[in-house]
Amino acid sequence: MVANAEPAKNQTMFIRPPPRQPKHTRLWLAPYIAIGIFALAMLVVTALLQWREQDTARSALEGDMHWAERTIESRLQSHQDFLSELARDQEFRQLTYESFQVRAGRYVLDHPEISAIVWVDIDGKVEWVSPHEATATFVGEQLTGTRLESLQEALRIRRPLFSPGYPNAGQQLGNDLIFPVQQSRSDIGAFIALQSLETMLRVTLPGSFTARYSLSVVDAQNREVLRNSSIQPTDRRISGTISLDLPNNRLGLNIVAYRAGGAWLPYLPAILIVVLTLIASATLVQLRRHAQHRADTEEQLRTAYAFRQAMSQSMITGLRAIDLEGRITFVNAAFCRMTGFDESELEGIKPPYPYWPPEEFDKLQHNIDTALAGKAPASGFEMRIMRKNGERFDVRLYFSPLIDTDGQQIGWMASMNDITEPKRARVELERAHERFVTVIDGLDTAVHVAAVDSGEILFANRAFQHIFGFDTVGRDSALVTAACRPPPEALFHDPASLGPDELPCEIFDGEIQHALSGHWYHVHERAIRWVDGRTVRVQIAADITDKKHIDDVNQQQQKRLEQTSRLITMGEMASSLAHELNQPLSAIANYCAGCIKRMQSGNYQFDDLLAAMQKASEQAERAGKIIRRMRDMVKKSDPNRQPVPLAELVDETRAFADIEAQRTGTLIEVAIPENLPNIVVDRIMIEQVLLNLIKNGIEAMHNNAFDRRKLFISARRIDERLVEVAIADQGHGLADEDIEKIFAPFYTTKPEGMGIGLAICRSIIEFHQGRLWVEPRREGGTVFRFTVPIEEEDE
Amino acid sequence: MSEPEQTIYVIDDDEAMRDSMTWLLEGEGYRVACFDSGEHFLATRHDRMRGCLVLDVRMPEMSGLELHEKLDALGSPLPIIFVTGHGDVPMAVGALQRGACDFIEKPFHNEDLLVRIRRALELDAQLAERRQRDSAISHRLDLLTQRENEVMQLVVAGKLNKQIADELNISMKTVEAHRARVMEKMGVRTLAELVKAVMTLH
Repeated sequence: MVANAEPAKNQTMFIRPPPRQPKHTRLWLAPYIAIGIFALAMLVVTALLQWREQDTARSALEGDMHWAERTIESRLQSHQDFLSELARDQEFRQLTYESFQVRAGRYVLDHPEISAIVWVDIDGKVEWVSPHEATATFVGEQLTGTRLESLQEALRIRRPLFSPGYPNAGQQLGNDLIFPVQQSRSDIGAFIALQSLETMLRVTLPGSFTARYSLSVVDAQNREVLRNSSIQPTDRRISGTISLDLPNNRLGLNIVAYRAGGAWLPYLPAILIVVLTLIASATLVQLRRHAQHRADTEEQLRTAYAFRQAMSQSMITGLRAIDLEGRITFVNAAFCRMTGFDESELEGIKPPYPYWPPEEFDKLQHNIDTALAGKAPASGFEMRIMRKNGERFDVRLYFSPLIDTDGQQIGWMASMNDITEPKRARVELERAHERFVTVIDGLDTAVHVAAVDSGEILFANRAFQHIFGFDTVGRDSALVTAACRPPPEALFHDPASLGPDELPCEIFDGEIQHALSGHWYHVHERAIRWVDGRTVRVQIAADITDKKHIDDVNQQQQKRLEQTSRLITMGEMASSLAHELNQPLSAIANYCAGCIKRMQSGNYQFDDLLAAMQKASEQAERAGKIIRRMRDMVKKSDPNRQPVPLAELVDETRAFADIEAQRTGTLIEVAIPENLPNIVVDRIMIEQVLLNLIKNGIEAMHNNAFDRRKLFISARRIDERLVEVAIADQGHGLADEDIEKIFAPFYTTKPEGMGIGLAICRSIIEFHQGRLWVEPRREGGTVFRFTVPIEEEDE
Repeated sequence: MSEPEQTIYVIDDDEAMRDSMTWLLEGEGYRVACFDSGEHFLATRHDRMRGCLVLDVRMPEMSGLELHEKLDALGSPLPIIFVTGHGDVPMAVGALQRGACDFIEKPFHNEDLLVRIRRALELDAQLAERRQRDSAISHRLDLLTQRENEVMQLVVAGKLNKQIADELNISMKTVEAHRARVMEKMGVRTLAELVKAVMTLH
């Protein structure tokens, strides 16, 4: 798998974590138990050893004690014996002062514990002192206190006595061994050996003894009277008491062994053991803690590794690590999937990589060189690479340095995204947007979107901008479209009060005229939810000026057709009359011309002429019949005269005329008195006349400025029979010669006129026993006036 | 075979008009034939008819204009005078543009009609004469042999005898002989006459 050793080294960063160890449940207790047992055993052994040592020491103590007892007792005994020798000699008066001095002096010299031997009388007065240079006493000294009491006691019981301790001249504890002497049953005095217990103990017991034991002397009341001064600690367990059987006094000697090697020495092993155990335990705990920590870390590592592994495998982003020379050290599954190469086919490969398409070599080599030099752009490289099957696709490659745990850069990590689809999608999106914009801008319908709350224009297409200006986006819709905006009261709903669940909602649909341009717009407005969630008004305004004009014209033509059908019927009637009359008239003319010709030439026969004249007569009769038929027809359509208010007729007529008036921007002003009586007319005929005159008036003002396009309709009663109606325009007026001619049939001043209208109007008015005439208006223009009869008032 | 007499064919659906027209025109000494519809006229029409048509524009069934178209299609040479009523003027103008002869609007003065009829008959006479001449020339042309025809074409085109001889690869004498026979057969005496005859035909 790995080509050589070096990549293997680099791969250490991707080695697997240690395998999961089995959970050692109670095993970790074993070392603690072992340590515990060991410590316990050691303590027991130590204790045993100590106990044995103590035992040995006690045995030694006992031996020493007995030895000391004997030694002390024998010493004391020898003192007693010496004193008894002296006493015997005194008793028998054989002892002289000099011998006493010699013997006692010698004895004292041999026994350092005895400071002096004195002879006292029964009253306690010192008579002899040996050695005479002794400092403890002097001749003539009177014994006092304890010493005197002890003397008296000894004299009384006549037995040697060991006095209680007293402080002697050397301020040491002194004891007197008193030996009374009687002569023939009477007391003569006593020999007293002044001795110091302390000195005695020191002299009798060897140094090795006192070095090993602490000694103390207690009296019968167990009061300590003497103690050898040593501050060494003692071991009370190794101790004993010697009872010193002194004459007439009991003293005890307490012996306590000094503790060997100091007070703490016996505990040293135990302490050591405990300390070592504790250290071992602590170490173990520490070790275990470390192991636990390590296990935890390993667990985390494993989790992190698994997580990272899953991440890198599940990721759709291809990952590729290269070392500093560009050798691939790692690729993830996505990278393999993208390129179609196996991990084994890529790892260890140096550039050029197998997925480089040959035609892109130079560019890709340049890219990798840039990346290895650390100059890869943050936005990555966009490049085209090749799958194993040769298919090319677009990717974007991002580089980031790969740092090992020592902070040393060991390579580069590159993440690769397949941008073919995003790129395609982006291009598609751009195209879709372009199409959208093209379509929206291609519309000649103005579309804009404005926020309901702020009125801000969020979107406007080109048509809108053409009408309202090119910098409208972002401005307030209410201001921009003020000239062409449905008034708030015309809206079906207030867009600001619509809830989100009511959207989308139609709020306006109608036609509005642009106040400035005069164009008509079909405005459709809806409230919808905008892409950012706001409620907005979408307004679609289609310019319907032309359509409206066409509609108006169509409608107007339709109305005119309906309204003037009767007119046309009359016109056709006239035309048909003309044609019908043509035939007989032409025939008559022919017959007559033929007769004239024949009679002129003289070449005729009477019968022929007669026949021709008869035929001509017949044709004349035929013509007469035609006329009669026409008259019959007119009679048949005898007007249906009824009383009707003039204002109503004018209103109805205006309904038709308004179309034309609005188209041309003509204002029609009507002034009809309210108290005007009803007129008795055929309403359709009079409407016809009105319509005709209004239209003529409008057409007459065709070339006027907009502010001079006004038509006035007025009426007044002129007498008890007639009402006069006037239709005045501000048009070009009529030439004098036209004034009478305009009522002639087939006369017209209009380019496309038939010349029938006014003729028929005059006929209709005359038919109603009225009159139609025209006169110039003083202010310019023309006034047509006609009269019609009014309803006869009931008497 | 004698030339047929010129006749005025009156076509009108109105009987009074036909009758009065006949009375008027016969008084002028014309021969008149009346038809009450275009269909009837077509039924009796033949190529040797001479004269002119007085045709009412407005007729039920076949209108005057339709009849005019049909006659055109049949190659009728007869001049036509349309009689129109009020409002038919644009129609008549259209007809004139398509080659009709003349029109008169009702009600008309009889002199106007007669002037137009005289003019039409004159035109008819000229046309008839030309037709006759043409048919004579073409009849004579038919008599020419192939070679004579070739020679004649070249002569008319203004070529000299020598050129003709070269072109047709024949001798001058032969050309002269052919030429003489052509003149003889075509019944002309001069070259100018020959040229005129041939040009007329074409």
